[in-house]
Amino acid sequence: MVKLLMAGLGTAAFAVLFSVPASLYISCGLTGAAGYLVYALLMDAGFSATMATFFATVAVVLLARFLAVWRKAPSTIFLITGVFPLVPGAGIYWTSYYLVTGQMRPALESGFAAVKAAVAIVLAMVMIFEIPGRVFHVSLTGKGRIRHGNHRDNP
Amino acid sequence: MELVAVSRGEADRQVMECAMDAGHILLENGAEIDRVEETMDRICRHYQVTGSSFFVLANGLFASDESWSGGAFADCRHIPVHGARLDRVAAVNQLSREMEEGLYIPQELQEKLKAVRNMPEKPIWLRILASGVGSGCFCVLFGGSWMDCLVSFLAGVVLYAFSLLLVRERLSKLIFSITGGALVTLVCTLCFRLGLGDSLSHMIVGAVIPLVPGVAFTNGIRDIGNEDYIAGIVRLTDAMMVFLGIASGVGLMTMFLREGWMW
Repeated sequence: MVKLLMAGLGTAAFAVLFSVPASLYISCGLTGAAGYLVYALLMDAGFSATMATFFATVAVVLLARFLAVWRKAPSTIFLITGVFPLVPGAGIYWTSYYLVTGQMRPALESGFAAVKAAVAIVLAMVMIFEIPGRVFHVSLTGKGRIRHGNHRDNP
Repeated sequence: MELVAVSRGEADRQVMECAMDAGHILLENGAEIDRVEETMDRICRHYQVTGSSFFVLANGLFASDESWSGGAFADCRHIPVHGARLDRVAAVNQLSREMEEGLYIPQELQEKLKAVRNMPEKPIWLRILASGVGSGCFCVLFGGSWMDCLVSFLAGVVLYAFSLLLVRERLSKLIFSITGGALVTLVCTLCFRLGLGDSLSHMIVGAVIPLVPGVAFTNGIRDIGNEDYIAGIVRLTDAMMVFLGIASGVGLMTMFLREGWMW
């Protein structure tokens, strides 16, 4: 629970760092927290870190696209900030740590784990962005009430 | 604003310049290639400029237009990779919506775009604080204790102050991430030796997070997903270099401190 709060707060802090408009801080924080929630739940359920990262990214991207339609802002904003808790920052550290201390085997393992997590993020993003934007519009605004003519749905 | 009657050719040129400005702002501040192309295209279509075509790379814009009055427009801009200002991306996005509702003539749009370019940055103290809070939060997220969180916060603040006040403009990105990683390690180790914090690793992991190239990484992936392979690879390479820089910075400093080089 504390960690969830921290994920949200940390993500919002990065929203400030990337000068996201102030009205969107909370949405960004929510995206980050949701991603971390999925990650933590799946880890508890015994999934591998790679799988957990994959599904957490799926959640982040879905939420980012919903928020983009709802708040009428580019989804990039929510995506860039929301994915931060999932980026294998710790993996980078451990890899260089083991390398420096001359423990080659753990270095290789943690480096490979970081790459796997990154690939999971890539796959999840690419897959979810294949879903046509109309899906997100209709489910939020009701059928046929697409308000911006043929304006693209901020994918 | 004073409105001047212009010829069709002149009007077309104005629209093209609007499109270039919009594209420039988007590309410079962390939008995907697809969004840049689409917005520029949208502006031209809305004002019925039909002969235009664009080519967008990760750090350059090329545009040409053969207008019906016989004149031609060509422009090419080099846009170095910049810090991300997502508020500008959001603002241009909003402008493009408003334009489609028919709120602006090209001249007004150009003024609005200029205003977006001059949007004020967040105050320095707020950004420094945000860097600290981000570091502290992620430290706890990765399993650090509250004391670790505090040290991480401190290191995050020092790191951002370092990046802002000293070296951003002068150091190349790679060197910046190496020195950033090293600085964070130094600060955390010093605090640790002074008896603050429980786990050195967690402190460093948290404090390193503001260096992570989130924008380049995410956009690189999205560009590749959109089949903009050239831009995608450029951006992912950018992100990879920064990741490598951080790792080697942390590694080098750990090695120095471990060998007792400073003690």
